[in-house]
Amino acid sequence: MSERPTPQELAEAIEEFLSAEILPTLDDQRLRFRMLVALNALGILHRELAKLPPEDDAEQRELAARIRAGDVPPGTLARIKADVQRRLLTNSPRHLDRY
Amino acid sequence: MREALEAVLGPVSEPVLLAGGASKEAWAVDAGGEQLLVRRAAVGVIHRHTLSLRDEFAVIEAAYEAGVKVPRPVLYIEDLDGREAFVMERIPGETIGRRIVRMEPVPPSLPLELAEQLAKIHAIPPERVPFLHHAQLERLVDELDEVGEPHPAIELGLWWLRENRPPPREPVVVHGDFRIGNVAVDGNGLVGVLDWEFAHLDDPARDLAFGLVRAWRFGVDDKRLGGIGEVEPFLERYNEVTGRGIGLEELDYWEVAGNVAWAIGCLTQARRHLTGQDRSVELAILGRLGAEVEYEICDLLETAGAP
Repeated sequence: MSERPTPQELAEAIEEFLSAEILPTLDDQRLRFRMLVALNALGILHRELAKLPPEDDAEQRELAARIRAGDVPPGTLARIKADVQRRLLTNSPRHLDRY
Repeated sequence: MREALEAVLGPVSEPVLLAGGASKEAWAVDAGGEQLLVRRAAVGVIHRHTLSLRDEFAVIEAAYEAGVKVPRPVLYIEDLDGREAFVMERIPGETIGRRIVRMEPVPPSLPLELAEQLAKIHAIPPERVPFLHHAQLERLVDELDEVGEPHPAIELGLWWLRENRPPPREPVVVHGDFRIGNVAVDGNGLVGVLDWEFAHLDDPARDLAFGLVRAWRFGVDDKRLGGIGEVEPFLERYNEVTGRGIGLEELDYWEVAGNVAWAIGCLTQARRHLTGQDRSVELAILGRLGAEVEYEICDLLETAGAP
């Protein structure tokens, strides 16, 4: 499923944070230089990610709409839980250890 | 900022901008021998589902009058250097949730104190704060629809909440965000209840259960009451003071509701970044961390036997 922020949007957010809030605080010339290089690299990542096609969320949309309409057959929860678990493996893998 | 403050407060010390608080700035300033805190609207904040600073200040005043432990409200300022603001007493104590749950020891009186404060909040006369609205489950649906992303786990949570609604209780004034992280605590216990922008009229059990949400246990998951204690003595004390007789099963229901609300809250916070209203990595990543809350919804629904 497509999740927001997308990978591209995440790269963009980090880029903005580093250039607006961290870069101006760096006095060490070597660190400043390496931060600028890192920002260039992030820019490449950001533009590479922008080339990817958007993920298809039609299936999730249909499932969400069915539940909204009150159509909740047995097995719905198990299916959703497995989906969320998969997303967590990317978004916050250590969180699953808490259960 | 100093000049603007001196125009209303008289001579003040140089104001210091404190960290934290995405929707409101916090400035520490001393005036007339008093330690004060100035809350000022941040740039571009739209109050859609939270109180304006004017109304939040009025709620703090009402809470103060009702004997709730809140910082003493001092003054509402319609225009402080271009934005609305209010001034209140600056109270001591730890407010960072992660640190409170790791205090050694967590003040043993804290769970009962939280219950006593809730009892007092729920006794604030609604006519004293007539601008507060009665929140319904439907408002959560609206908020989710405004985000516009498909989230089946949240939908299932909302469905379960509709199907399993307990008999409604007479709505009372609720804090709306009553949890560890929004209270100040020191070694002796509770110092004050903070952050009133989500105050509204609602089922009192909702306010009791919001602090049980796993995200607000700050990693101390086995202590269901906000990572600081057990629920039973807390609930017992609340019932003792109020005579409401709220049952544990009601808290179970409202704990699911609290998780659904926070899962949607994560998405709406991320929206503030994505729409450009308030660019911040901290807000952005909540869009992804919401999956943690969705997992908790699934876990709770599994225990409740949802299909």
